[in-house]
Formats: sequence, C-alpha cells, structure tokens
Amino acid sequence: MVSSTASRKEITVLGTTVEYFVGGTGDTSLLFLHGAGGNSGWQKYHEELSKRYTVYVPSQAGFNGTERPDWVYTITDMAHFNLQLVNALGLSNYILMGSSMGGWISSEMASMDDSNIQSLILIDAAGIKPEKGEIAEIFMCSAQTRLKQRFYDPSQVENYEAYTRELTPDEVFTEHSNREMASRLCWRPYLHNWSLPFYLKKITTPTLIVWGENDAIIPVECGSLFQANITNSTLKVIANCGHSPAIEKPNEFMETVNKFLSN
Amino acid sequence: MTEVFWFSEQPYGHVTEDDIEGYESGRMHFPNTMFDPIKAHELYSNYHDQYALADQVGFDGIMSNEHHSSYWCMKPSVNIDAACIAKVTKNVKIAMLGNVIAVQDPVKMAEEIAMLDCISGGRIISGFVRGTAVETLHAGISPTENRARFEEAHDLIVKCWTTPGPFRWEGRYWPHRMVNPWVVPIQRDPHPQVWFPGTGSPESVIWAAERQYPYMNLGSLLDLTKQLKDIYFETANKVGYTPGPEHFGYLMKVFVADTEEKAQEVGRKYLWTEAHRNRGPAEFNDPPGYQSREALKIKMSRPVIGTGTMGKRMSYEELQDAYNIVVGTPETVIEKLRHIKKELDPGYILIYGNEGDMAHNDVMRSIELIGEKVIPAVKNF
Repeated sequence: MVSSTASRKEITVLGTTVEYFVGGTGDTSLLFLHGAGGNSGWQKYHEELSKRYTVYVPSQAGFNGTERPDWVYTITDMAHFNLQLVNALGLSNYILMGSSMGGWISSEMASMDDSNIQSLILIDAAGIKPEKGEIAEIFMCSAQTRLKQRFYDPSQVENYEAYTRELTPDEVFTEHSNREMASRLCWRPYLHNWSLPFYLKKITTPTLIVWGENDAIIPVECGSLFQANITNSTLKVIANCGHSPAIEKPNEFMETVNKFLSN
Repeated sequence: MTEVFWFSEQPYGHVTEDDIEGYESGRMHFPNTMFDPIKAHELYSNYHDQYALADQVGFDGIMSNEHHSSYWCMKPSVNIDAACIAKVTKNVKIAMLGNVIAVQDPVKMAEEIAMLDCISGGRIISGFVRGTAVETLHAGISPTENRARFEEAHDLIVKCWTTPGPFRWEGRYWPHRMVNPWVVPIQRDPHPQVWFPGTGSPESVIWAAERQYPYMNLGSLLDLTKQLKDIYFETANKVGYTPGPEHFGYLMKVFVADTEEKAQEVGRKYLWTEAHRNRGPAEFNDPPGYQSREALKIKMSRPVIGTGTMGKRMSYEELQDAYNIVVGTPETVIEKLRHIKKELDPGYILIYGNEGDMAHNDVMRSIELIGEKVIPAVKNF
C-alpha cells in the first residue's frame, strides 16, 4: 500500500537493487526496518511519523521487491548490508526504528556503529533468547496459527479482514519468498544471536524499547533483557497488546514514540 | 534383465487410525509415547527374518530407507539397517535409498557406507536423498539449506571414495582442512553405484539423469511415472548418453498369496493409516525454501504433472487399477508385472512387500511365492 504522500523508489546497494518507500519532508530521517513477514508497505504509522520526519521503509535484502544477495545468510550480514544502504541513501544523524526481526537487525547495526544514529527504537524485537519463556514457533506452523499469535485482540486491529483474505498468486509467491528469506536468516539459532547481549553494551544512543505486554511470539521478558543490556535505554510496555503495537495500539504507540523523540 | 528388490518400511504396525486421529499431523505432532520398544524388538526380528528369506528365495536385492519422526518407518538410520541386511543375507545387493546426506556429516557417511561395502563384500548401492522436508525439520536444519547441503555432501562423499587422503575440503557447510577416511569401499569403479529416488519432482529426475544415476520412482502412479521417465530420457539425451532400463526403477506395493481372496484381503492393509502419514500443515511437507524460488515459480506456472490423480484419495480398487498396489496369486501378479514391464520397462522392480499389521506369516509366504514363481517369470519377460 502506498499513499499519495509516499512513493516507491529503488536504489542499488553492493550490486543489489533495493526497493523502498519514502514519504515526508522533515529535516530528520527515520529508517524503519520490517519484521520476518516482510514489507507490508506504507502503513498508517509510517504516515503519522512522516508528519515530522522523512521516513524510509525499505524492503530488506531478499524480501518483497528487493533481490536476495547470495552472501546474506545471517542477521549480522543483514546489518552490514543495511549500513551500506544507510550510506547509499545519504542518511545522517537519523532515527533507526525496527520491529521484530527488524528490531534485531537495528540493534546489530547500532552495535556496529551508532555514531550516525540519533535515536534507536526497538519494537518487540527478536535477537535475545528469553531466560524463562520461549520464542514461539513461527515457521513450522500454519498461517492461521501465526495470525493468532500475532495479535492479542483482533477486535483492536483496524481492517483485520485484510489479514485473513485469500491472497493472489503473486502475493502467495511474495509471502513464500519472504518466509524463505526469514528462514534463511533466523532458523538456527532460532530468532536470536547468542552474542547480541554483549554487542549491545557498545550502544550509547538513546534507545526506546517498546513491547506489547501480551506478545505471544517474543515474550516481554526479552524487552527487559534488551533494556538491561543497552546503557541509555527505556522500556515501555503497552498493556493488552500483542506482537505489533503500532497496529494493535496505534495511539499509545505513537504517543510513546513522540514523547521519546521529543526529549 | 529386470532385477527384483525386496523393500519394507518396517512399520510400527500397532498404531491405529484412532490413535492418530486427534493430532494435527501424523509425524511431528504424533507423540512417541505411543511407541513400545518391546513390541519394536519383536517387529525388527520379524523384518530381519523376512530379509533372510528374500535372500534365500532369489531376490536380486533388498532396498532400505530412512525416515524420522515416523511411526510407519522405524528406521532412523539406513546404515544400521544395511548392516543388519549384510549380516542376515549372503547374496542380495543392498540398496540404500537412502542416506539423508543433507542433514548428516558427509565424511562419516562416506566412512560408514565404505564400511558397509567392506562388510557386505561389495554389495552396496548407495542412494542419496534430500529426504522429505520433515527429515530436515527434525534435524533442526533450515529447509532453505537442504539442496545446497545435499549437493555439497554428495560431492564430498564421492571425493572421499575417489581421492586418496588426506585432502582439504573448504565447503560452505562442512569445512575440513584434513580429510582422510581410513575405510574405503570395495567397489572402486569408480565407487559404489549411486541411486537417486523421487516421487514426483522433475528437478530430482533431471539431477539424477545429468549424473547418469539410476532414478528410482517411489510409488507414483503409472501415468505420472511414465512422464517422469520421459524427462529422464530427454535429459540423458541432452547430456549425451543413451539411457536404458538399467537407469530406471519402479517401486510398487506387491503382495502374493495362494488364493486371490486371501491376497485381496491382506493387500487391503496397504491402506493402513494412509490418510495420516504425511498429514499436517504445508509448513511440514513443503516449507518455504525447501524448493528454490525458481522451482516454485515453475510449479506455480504449470499444471501439476499427473493432474487428476495426485492429491486425490483413491480407493483400494483404483490404486490396483493404477498399478500402485499389485496383489493376487502368483499368476495374476505375473500378468500385472508383465504389463508394467511393457509400459515402463524398468530395470529394477522394487517390491514394497508389507505394511501396517500384516501378519508375519502372511508376509513370509508372500516372499516364498514371489521367489518361487514370480521372479523366475519376471526374468523371462
């Protein structure tokens, strides 16, 4: 979905053509990284963010309309790729926001080099193995199970029918390809990197960690673990909310983000 | 001349439809608390007796295989089963179809298969398989890696058998700076024969044909099998050799009894839990990445091979009409096999000879009748 305020563009990074959506005219850039399900396009919360920032929403390597580079096998590879994407886009002193797998990638990027990152926002991020619970199985289960895991209360999700409708053949192929790329990146160790908690110690950028209290995919204790390992970080837990706060609790999510970025 | 092989999945036949009914899948979700090792001990003994008899009555070979998390195949290691076959038989070829090399250590595979070739006196045929996707999932390995791992493992195993050690192997999945397996195969011309199986994927047929590896079709229906055989032959011609029956085998369920009535009654057990064995979410049987994006595109753009028969539950009678199940007295079975020989001309007829809770004595009698009457007739087709 692309609204009139955003446009789809392409840029070449290390020989790979990357598609991205961009909207807004703010002086500060915000780079949003999607999760393992792929790029859902320009969403309402992107629109909201674009009122203040120039928002970039790339399809990450191997997802949607972006080619799959042969050498990208891990989230760490992905983070290296994205730092080159940041350079290619010419982003400077930007806000980095990532959801789920995108949060994991964002945290690895910031661990590598956060000198150019003004603020970091991690939303229900993968990447750390929980100590008490488990990260739910998202590959070896049906689409219905995955959807059930994603939202705490479907009645809170605007246009929920869009998530249950039958897909066109092109959409089936894209979804299959996205899940294939996510499997390639996240299968083993499963949705985490043993070393990530140690990488995170290097981050000094002000960081907001947002989590749905009832996240059935990545337990909220992972939010606490991110918070404990990132020096300058704050954890905000949103009640009655699952894995996608920006969709399930859009107002609370935007208030939290705006408050953090205003400071 | 057509060779006849015995094959058994070695099912845990105590499982019933009712046992499985309530589980989301017949494999990954069906709990192993249903498995009784004492009962399994008795079953393994029976299956080994069947191997010994097949050898005595004149089968050319015994084929074995491997599956994981499967009540219908109690063989998590084809190499262990091949070792048993080697010790309870004297003459038969031992066709392993095969090792799931994508999820195993290839150097250890090369060593074990070489050891089996030495123990058996050079009777090993070494099949390599990608396995069903469940084999990969059960091993904890990403399905996206299966094909690349399979190809690297294949190349490394063949190198272990053909290149004097020590040598270096800097592969993506199994980097070794020093490879030097002490045990090498007896068969060195250039190595034990490799077979490659498939059920319906044209990509598998092409891979086998490109390497001149005999392709064993595992129980597809006759029409589909003919289409796959054509793909093999077309590929062979492109590669530049003329394939013959020795490049093609066909597996079917065959049960023989003294009377037609008895054969029909026991043969019905081939439908044992048929609806459940591979039941489960598509994510188990064809997870994203198990096929390449290219293969997926091809699959989505063409009509499914064998449309009209695949994916549809068929009755016992329909499966017999399609030559998937062949049961009867020696005389009726010989006529059916004659038809298959005429239609497909396989160099190898692989006999899937028991299923579910077929009585051991009935299976032993079937082996005797096949050996005494059916095999001599097949040799004269």
